[in-house]
Amino acid sequence: MAAERPVVLLVDDEDHILAALRRVLRREPYELITASNPAEALATLAARPVRVVVSDQKMPGASGIELLRDIAARYPATKRVLLTGWPEEIAAPEKRAARLDAILQKPWDEAQLKQTIRRCVAG
Amino acid sequence: MSRQAEPTRLLLLAPPPAAHEPRGPAAEALLPLGFAIELCHELRAARAALAAGAAALVVADLRIEGALAWLRELRDAAAAPPVLALVRGDNEAVAAFRAGAWECVDQSALARELASAASALREHAQRARARTVAGDPQAGAASEVVRHMNSALVVLDRAGNVTFANPIAAQLLGAEAEKLVGRSFGRWFPGVARSQLPVQRTLERGDRVRGAEAMVAREDGRAIPIGLSASPLRSARGEPDGAIVIFQDLSDTKQLESQLLQREKMASIGQLAAGVAHEINNPMGFIHANLSQLREYLEDFARVWERVAVLRKVALGAGGEVRAAAESAEALIAEVDAEFLLRDFGTAVSESLEGAQRIRAIVQDLRSFSHRDTGERVHADVNKALDSTANIVWTMMKHSVGLSKSYAELPPILCFPMQLQQVFMNLLMNAYQAIEERRGQDGAPGEIRLRTELANGGVRVAVSDNGIGMEPEVQRRVFDPFFTTKEVGIGTGLGLSTSYQIARRHGGRLSFESERGVGTTFCLWLPLDDESGA
Repeated sequence: MAAERPVVLLVDDEDHILAALRRVLRREPYELITASNPAEALATLAARPVRVVVSDQKMPGASGIELLRDIAARYPATKRVLLTGWPEEIAAPEKRAARLDAILQKPWDEAQLKQTIRRCVAG
Repeated sequence: MSRQAEPTRLLLLAPPPAAHEPRGPAAEALLPLGFAIELCHELRAARAALAAGAAALVVADLRIEGALAWLRELRDAAAAPPVLALVRGDNEAVAAFRAGAWECVDQSALARELASAASALREHAQRARARTVAGDPQAGAASEVVRHMNSALVVLDRAGNVTFANPIAAQLLGAEAEKLVGRSFGRWFPGVARSQLPVQRTLERGDRVRGAEAMVAREDGRAIPIGLSASPLRSARGEPDGAIVIFQDLSDTKQLESQLLQREKMASIGQLAAGVAHEINNPMGFIHANLSQLREYLEDFARVWERVAVLRKVALGAGGEVRAAAESAEALIAEVDAEFLLRDFGTAVSESLEGAQRIRAIVQDLRSFSHRDTGERVHADVNKALDSTANIVWTMMKHSVGLSKSYAELPPILCFPMQLQQVFMNLLMNAYQAIEERRGQDGAPGEIRLRTELANGGVRVAVSDNGIGMEPEVQRRVFDPFFTTKEVGIGTGLGLSTSYQIARRHGGRLSFESERGVGTTFCLWLPLDDESGA
């Protein structure tokens, strides 16, 4: 493998969502890895560099916004995207603390999802 | 004409003013109208005052102990003056109307509404007094009261036939007073057995009936709810000899009750909807995403299949093993009708995707329906929110609908502007659809009128159309979630219920007037806050 492909970590407790996200991003030039909960996601981040994290909001253990806040503090180079059905329910201070690069509505729009991750990978 | 400006006597039953006030807010609001106010702070004093002098009207604060019961007494007494009740909240208003109040003013709107309500009531009382006949002043006054009281009154003979009816009774039953005389009271209660009539006990046994509710069928066939009380008349020997029946139109009260019910219903449905939307959202997410992907896969596969067609042709022309394999493949392709499968696969995916999109729209509507906003309200220009929405929607309807705008100058109000735009969008789309429906029938040119104004301490936005209008049964259900008159797949049935919720969330109201074949006007009223009022 000539050049290392950027790593995109997808976090969701619903396997079907992870599979669907993989399908959408199949043709994109990333290495896709997944985690089923925030703890697993943090373990992955400790083991290897990740360019972009795309996380669901409602998960057992910790919420997506809490996970992204931790990541912002510990891995500031990793871009953070929140994928949630209820963006309006996330309070402004929480959003600021997690310093989100993007917040996407679930169900997502395929083109918008791809575009957002491309932008994060490039930026 | 004895238009001598003798002040109208008003009996005010209200709690004592606070230490720093000279009179209390109700008296303060009434004073500029020039009433001769007799102020009582407790029920006993009010009873005595009313017995001693003929107050032309009564204003009663329901915070006074026993006031509601007193209202009922006054309602059932023939010669009592009209009563205006000061209430707290809709529930109390309903109770007051039930108890016979002529009018209700909420404590919170005292300064704004009491004066106009009382002066309307005074006019009513003055008209009654102006017509008082000379002669026996007592009898004259009594007959005037009966004629002008705000309740319907009929007198029945022993057989239950009308011997007298006052004008309100005539109005309520929809016939002239003279024509009511001689008719059986039961005729206005079709389908009710004689023995079940609310006045029957009074006629037969001399029992009093208080606050019975019934549906009365007017002469024009319209049914209206009434509240009814009946007192027995007695012969010289003390036997029941007919009855005096007093009844009121409860339509407004009933409407108020149904609005209260509606509010409760909406609140619980809102919670349910939020839960359902949350649960549907995830599976919806991957169903929709997967279907989109399947469509992409299929496009690739169709390209492969084209190539394979060439291969099939060549293989059939070859010999030996290749040809045998090709023939076997052709047989299977024919057996399963693979060409059809490929085509129909695409159609099925497209249709499923359309269904998924519809569900997605419903979930999104449900979301705003049950919206728990953590965002902050901002001061925004309602005219601007309306105008920008109208301009967007306008592009799709300008070929068939005229649009007129009349915007008053409005102070900025504290709101969620996006939500207001959502309401305007819903109202405009409904107006457009109502116009299209009418155009389909009689080709009438459509018009939507937008109007904003300051009204009742708030901002009122009216969206009027000259579309098809709503049937009464549609009007009753128009704010019900999932109620739609549109074709399957066109409307989610959540537009107006969501708009209703948004209006409520802003402390405002959404109301409408509609007539079939004439058009519909929706009114959104939003309160001003302290800052925007300044």
